[in-house]
Amino acid sequence: MQNNLELENKIAEKIKIAFQTAEVQVQRKQRIKVNLNEDLVHPFLTFAKNTLSYKHLSHISCVDWIEDNQFELVYILLSYDSLVQIIAKTRINREKAEFPTARNYWPQVETYEREIHELYGINFVGNDHLVDFVLEDWEDLPPMRRDFDTVKYSQEHFFNRPGREDAQDVRKTVTKHSGEELPDLAKIYSVRN
Amino acid sequence: MEITYDKNAQEILSTIKSFARKSSLWVIAYGTGCGAIEIPPTMTSRYDAERFGIRGSATPRQADVLLITGYLAVKTLKRVIRTYEQMQDPKYVIAFGSCTINGGMYWDSYNTIKLLDKYIPVDVYINGCMPRPEAVIQGFIKLQELIMNKKAEGAAKYKENLEWYRENQRKIIHNWRMPEYNW
Amino acid sequence: MREKETTLYLGPQHPGITGNMMVKLKVTGDTIIKAETHVGYLHRAFEKLMEARNWMQCFPIVCRICVPEPDPNEENLARIIEELEGREVPERAKYIRVMVLELARLGTYLLWMGGQSGSMGLYTMPQWTIGDRDYILDLFEALTGGRVYHMYIWPGGVRRDLPEGFKDKVLKTMDYLEGRLKDYDDLLFDNALFYKRAKGIGVIDKSKAMEWGVVGAPLRGCGIKHDVRIDEPYEVYDKLKFVVPTAEGGDVWARALVRRQEFEQSISIIRQVMEQMPSGEFYNKVPNPLNWKVPAGDAYVKTESARGEFGYYGVSDGGLKPRRMHVRGPAYVHGVSLLERILVGANIADVSFIMNSLGTCPPEIER
Repeated sequence: MQNNLELENKIAEKIKIAFQTAEVQVQRKQRIKVNLNEDLVHPFLTFAKNTLSYKHLSHISCVDWIEDNQFELVYILLSYDSLVQIIAKTRINREKAEFPTARNYWPQVETYEREIHELYGINFVGNDHLVDFVLEDWEDLPPMRRDFDTVKYSQEHFFNRPGREDAQDVRKTVTKHSGEELPDLAKIYSVRN
Repeated sequence: MEITYDKNAQEILSTIKSFARKSSLWVIAYGTGCGAIEIPPTMTSRYDAERFGIRGSATPRQADVLLITGYLAVKTLKRVIRTYEQMQDPKYVIAFGSCTINGGMYWDSYNTIKLLDKYIPVDVYINGCMPRPEAVIQGFIKLQELIMNKKAEGAAKYKENLEWYRENQRKIIHNWRMPEYNW
Repeated sequence: MREKETTLYLGPQHPGITGNMMVKLKVTGDTIIKAETHVGYLHRAFEKLMEARNWMQCFPIVCRICVPEPDPNEENLARIIEELEGREVPERAKYIRVMVLELARLGTYLLWMGGQSGSMGLYTMPQWTIGDRDYILDLFEALTGGRVYHMYIWPGGVRRDLPEGFKDKVLKTMDYLEGRLKDYDDLLFDNALFYKRAKGIGVIDKSKAMEWGVVGAPLRGCGIKHDVRIDEPYEVYDKLKFVVPTAEGGDVWARALVRRQEFEQSISIIRQVMEQMPSGEFYNKVPNPLNWKVPAGDAYVKTESARGEFGYYGVSDGGLKPRRMHVRGPAYVHGVSLLERILVGANIADVSFIMNSLGTCPPEIER
């Protein structure tokens, strides 16, 4: 099943010819990864949709690479003809997080971009519907950024029940009360033991 | 004409009232969290909660019991407070699942509250993630016991300490655009 | 005379809403002219929490993303880890996984039947189907220990082997459910009331369905044959015989027919699985969960859930914890951009009817 990658190679070849600077890699059967420059994303999406019949946009995702000071935008496309999924990636500057919207190609992009705008603070130029999606009256940093500390935020804003002081081992306590032998799961499942 | 009763008659009357209240608990249809998935099995043929006089109600104004089925996001808390304040007396709150007790597995989430009883009064907690229908029914029976013994006084506590509850609520709900109901 | 426009808030506290969400409607008279979905009432920040947990600690988290059907989530997360590590899964575990996924699908369809008929005022149906769904939950309880959340599928296999006598129990339940189908037909699917109510309501345009990102039963209800189990067979679906039913029309009725036929297919898949299941190991040994580093890389995996394609995009930076895990539930599109479109022109009474037929499930929209 793994060996026959003809179709994938054919599509990858087509992409390579059209976008010479793009890094194209056939990851496995039915998956192609494309690394693009920032300015090539929109030409690529148009090319994929119109020429390669990639009609379905599964997802837009975002990864925060804080150590490189970059955001990575991931467009996951699917063609119902070839059934090969393309994962197109690009990196944008984290400080000035802006990117042109892809709303004109697929209508549901509006929702995806709304979410990324809210959780990462990326401004999608041209999308005029970037209103609140899941949060309400949020005043802090966009929460999915790596530098937002969720533990600290929750301790500052919410009441917390203090933990149990004796901090018993649950398994030992159960064994003591019920008298039954519990199996040592670590020994059964782990390679190390 | 006002009828006056002596003490004995008053006691008998209030016992009858409590009995009537505990025997018809109308639960508001508001699935606030994932525990709502165990409500249909509880209400339908297998567990049949209607045996105990428990049934659903569509609007807060006809309901007696507010079920908080799990974690509350800040956005939901606002709606829950409003729903709770719209409910008529007598009213009771049953909190469901470990996340209402101490945050459960969402202890470090930035969007869920950890201690429900700081924001609205809770009469009965049911633990588990999520509680089985049997546990839910057990929780309701406990509530019925409390009503019969006149110990389910959550609403009275809320009225008394309204300032304190409001202060806690406003701490996390920044934009308070809600009507103040008469208390 | 121009009728007055009114704004109507449907939810979050409303018996007809599937879960905790709100639809803001603009209506003239009884007709909707604009709909707007508001979500976020169930936002628990799962994706953020997963970045702070070990890979194994993510399993209790992911199953809570979709409450009616948690197993595709576990399956997806397990497959991401397996794909990044190149970990093999024993043959028996694959069959067990398929069985679990199909049982979950049956349970969700039963819940859907109850919700769909409940939203048109037919209250006998939920009493039957949700009661019958409990037989499936009992099977899960015997297998995994949990009624709703299972935490059963994990990388390298499944957590436990089938208990003694489980096979007979499953087959017995399947026989029972198949026998019940006739009753369901009499009450719901052959019911003229349901046909008249559902025909022509909530129509999805076939030519737009792909571009709009529609998946699952709503897509098959438009006559487009697309199912992840066929398109990209995972586990052992390529060894099993089943058909992907489609229907024409793209309305609530077509979606109901698709689900009704899939119900039978799932029963047949489970029977085949029980027959073909080999004996042997049900898990491969895994590293110490507290010190489990997954190689760097990224993967997109998908599973066909009862409501459509469930996709996970996972990134690992080679550490103990996931770098990023992004969930693409089917309701992400169905519940927001699609619902907003197809509600225009419908009646107020149709809102919960359409929402049920799309399988809108808010926890997977906002996570």
